[in-house]
Amino acid sequence: MTLFTLENVCFDVPKRRLVDHLSLAIKPGITALVGRNGSGKSTLLKMLAAQTRPSAGTIQYGGQDLRDWKPRDFARDLAFLPQVTPPTEGLWLEELVALGRYPWRGALGRLGPEDRFMIDTAIAQCGLEHKRGQMVDTMSGGEKQRSWIAMMLAQGARSLLLDEPISALDVAHQIDVLGLLRETVNAGALSAVVVLHDVNMAVRFCDHVIALDAGRVALEGAAHSLLDPDALQRIYGLPMQVIDTKPSPVVHPI
Amino acid sequence: MIRPPFLTLPLVAALGAACLWTIAALAALPAAQWVLPVAGPQDLSPEQILFAFGLMPRAVIALLIGALLGLSGALMQAVLRNPLADPTTLGVASGAQLALVCATLLWPNMLALGPGPVALVGGGLAALIVMALGARRGFAPVTVTIAGMLVGMLASAISTALTLGQGHYLLSLVIWNGGALSQDSWHGVTRLTVVLVLGAAGAALLVRPLVVLSLGGATAKALGAQVGAIRVAALALAVFVSAMVSAEVGLVGFVGLAAPALARRLGARSVAQVLLAAPLAGALLLWLVDSALLALAAFGLPELPTGALTGLIGGPLLIALLPRLRNIVPPEAERNDTLPPRAPHPWRRVALLACAAVAFAVLSLFGTRGPEGWGVISGAIAASFVPLRATAILAAAAAGALLALSGAALQRVTANPMAAPEVLGVTGGAALGYAATLFLLPAPSPLALALGSSGGAAATLIILSAYAARSNMAPARLLLAGLAIGAFASALLAAIMASGDPRAWSLLGWLAGSATRVTVAGAMALAAMAVAALGAALLLSRWFDILPLGSGVAQGLGVPLGTVRLAVVLAAGLATGAASVLVGPVSFVGLMAPHIARSLGLLRPAPFLAASWCLGALLMSLAAFGARTASYPYDLPLGLFATLIGTPWLFIALLGRRHA
Repeated sequence: MTLFTLENVCFDVPKRRLVDHLSLAIKPGITALVGRNGSGKSTLLKMLAAQTRPSAGTIQYGGQDLRDWKPRDFARDLAFLPQVTPPTEGLWLEELVALGRYPWRGALGRLGPEDRFMIDTAIAQCGLEHKRGQMVDTMSGGEKQRSWIAMMLAQGARSLLLDEPISALDVAHQIDVLGLLRETVNAGALSAVVVLHDVNMAVRFCDHVIALDAGRVALEGAAHSLLDPDALQRIYGLPMQVIDTKPSPVVHPI
Repeated sequence: MIRPPFLTLPLVAALGAACLWTIAALAALPAAQWVLPVAGPQDLSPEQILFAFGLMPRAVIALLIGALLGLSGALMQAVLRNPLADPTTLGVASGAQLALVCATLLWPNMLALGPGPVALVGGGLAALIVMALGARRGFAPVTVTIAGMLVGMLASAISTALTLGQGHYLLSLVIWNGGALSQDSWHGVTRLTVVLVLGAAGAALLVRPLVVLSLGGATAKALGAQVGAIRVAALALAVFVSAMVSAEVGLVGFVGLAAPALARRLGARSVAQVLLAAPLAGALLLWLVDSALLALAAFGLPELPTGALTGLIGGPLLIALLPRLRNIVPPEAERNDTLPPRAPHPWRRVALLACAAVAFAVLSLFGTRGPEGWGVISGAIAASFVPLRATAILAAAAAGALLALSGAALQRVTANPMAAPEVLGVTGGAALGYAATLFLLPAPSPLALALGSSGGAAATLIILSAYAARSNMAPARLLLAGLAIGAFASALLAAIMASGDPRAWSLLGWLAGSATRVTVAGAMALAAMAVAALGAALLLSRWFDILPLGSGVAQGLGVPLGTVRLAVVLAAGLATGAASVLVGPVSFVGLMAPHIARSLGLLRPAPFLAASWCLGALLMSLAAFGARTASYPYDLPLGLFATLIGTPWLFIALLGRRHA
């Protein structure tokens, strides 16, 4: 069973090809997208989230071409978190999370008990019960990221797509956010595709990895296949070493 | 340096300008009689005098003004690191114009030293206000441009009011507003040559500091540059140069925008190269435009003011330049706004506002100012007056509510607190539609005029939407495209005014807005529209919750983004068109009411939209009451009165301290 199936997907901007004939199968579980800056990770994620359309090729999600999904049905099945989360003018946490029910209730429908339950569960899962009435803009970076993840969970989607969710966080909050993601994916039998810069985090929290280089696949496989100096040299163009230590090996540039 | 192939285009332009000028000159005087302006006028025939002291200095002054505006624009763009900055978009030119209008009307003694100092004060004040507004947002290009164009619109609105109030005395000013380059001596050339020499010397001194500044304020500071001093000096020089141009010939729009853009297009890259090449490009551009106009006039076409024509080029140019903005707008700088605390009981505040609006409407219905002073209308007079007055109040309140709701909706859609129907150029389009009806039909009925201006607004929106759909409705670009359309419309209107046609006065009267001519049916229709619009907006308030979060989140949640944005923009445009038939194109109610609502802590979409609606109605009925009573027994223009009472508040709100 596969989550996404990509066939010959390309993405062009004037004078440059960002994604070059990608053919991939993305499996359930947590998949890390890694690669150098400009390797096409974020572009690929945006195409998977149907935020942008590929210039050529097809992407299937759940066995159906992305072009055939209706926007609201798609949003019920898949949630997306952009790299830079927008400012939330005057929104309380509770209200932000409630926006995750839009795909189910639309512009006019009232929120029922089922929606309330989803919102409460999402907030509880993210450990934010005591912050319900706080403005999201006044929260710390880690809490803000948790709030957005709570909104995604309230969407009730099977798949979560996150673009560099930890790049602006300190190391404690990085572990905190990725740990939360791991837990929720395990608890709800969900899937996630995450763009990450930190190889060690990818190995520690993800099941699969797809590494891109100049819009092409440089490595595809289980997350621990990243623990290979040759593969890392191919991906980052930099000599790296794998230090075997407890509890798990770590990767470090030489 | 600039590579040789790129010299072809300037050479062709120079050649073309020279040819066109020669055609115009030959039409005025056979080549055999051409003289140099060295001889005294007593030895010359009238045609020769026109040639030596009219046509010849005109060519030189076009070159000089083009060079000065190019220099001014290049300086402003270098300081603000903003390719959209120029004397027109920063409001400096309109500020200078307003100062001159004021001085001519109110304090003629101040013009004893010539128009230069007065224009300098006006332009300088406008620049100060714009910079103060821009400083609050880290001089982000889009914000500075919007603030500048707002200041410019306000200044022109006040100038229009004064012009209207004094009628024919200011006809020469109206022509001056259009930027006519005609000359009757060489004095102007002498004055502007001095300015050019001073400007060039100042720019030469500033080149090195500006290069350092082009790396950004923080880096420049780290290199030991006095960032503040450099900015002030360069801006002061740019304002001085452009104010002198304004004093000499009036508004010549957008040359300062076009010249540096052309210079860059032709290969100038560094700050020094642009500062050198932009004046040359500006000089050639303006000479070419002016010579073309002269040549056309020689073939019997009406003589148009050159400034109005450059305005026509400016609007499309601004749109063409927008894609360049992508890489230089620091996204964070565009939105470092902090908000007031949220009101604990938002709907109570909305109810209070609604009560206030109703109470005030009743008060102004019966309250009056008569020959014996203030009082309450009663008896037989009431029976005949109240229905008339009720119609006017209802229409004004409905128009205000519609404008305010449009503004509030547009602010939510674009996530930009500076968005408003006035800013989107919709009102400019409505004005053009009104003008077109006025000139095309022999005796247009009020209904035809209303349809004409709604058609103009709709056409503007279609153009805007077509453009916006291409750039995926990026909010900042939408605003700037709207401003460009507005600038285009006002340039065209200036050209119409300058034509001296008697119908231009009727247009000028409408531009100021008046609620006294409205019919009962018109007022009812407007009110019904306002109520329906509020209902629809409240029903769909969830959209207004999600849209400010940006396209990524909105699409992720399954909102059909393109459709929703298009629907909101179209609805706002129609509402604005309908309202501006009544109150004229500029009132700023659409910008003010949402701002007041936000400052009252009404941040959630539903109370925000409802409160803006109430405030719009309240503000406009306040304006209607004021316009009726302030200079009893004469009615003042409604839209103008709304602008005058609202704008000072707006500036205080924008400049005032933010809630931390």
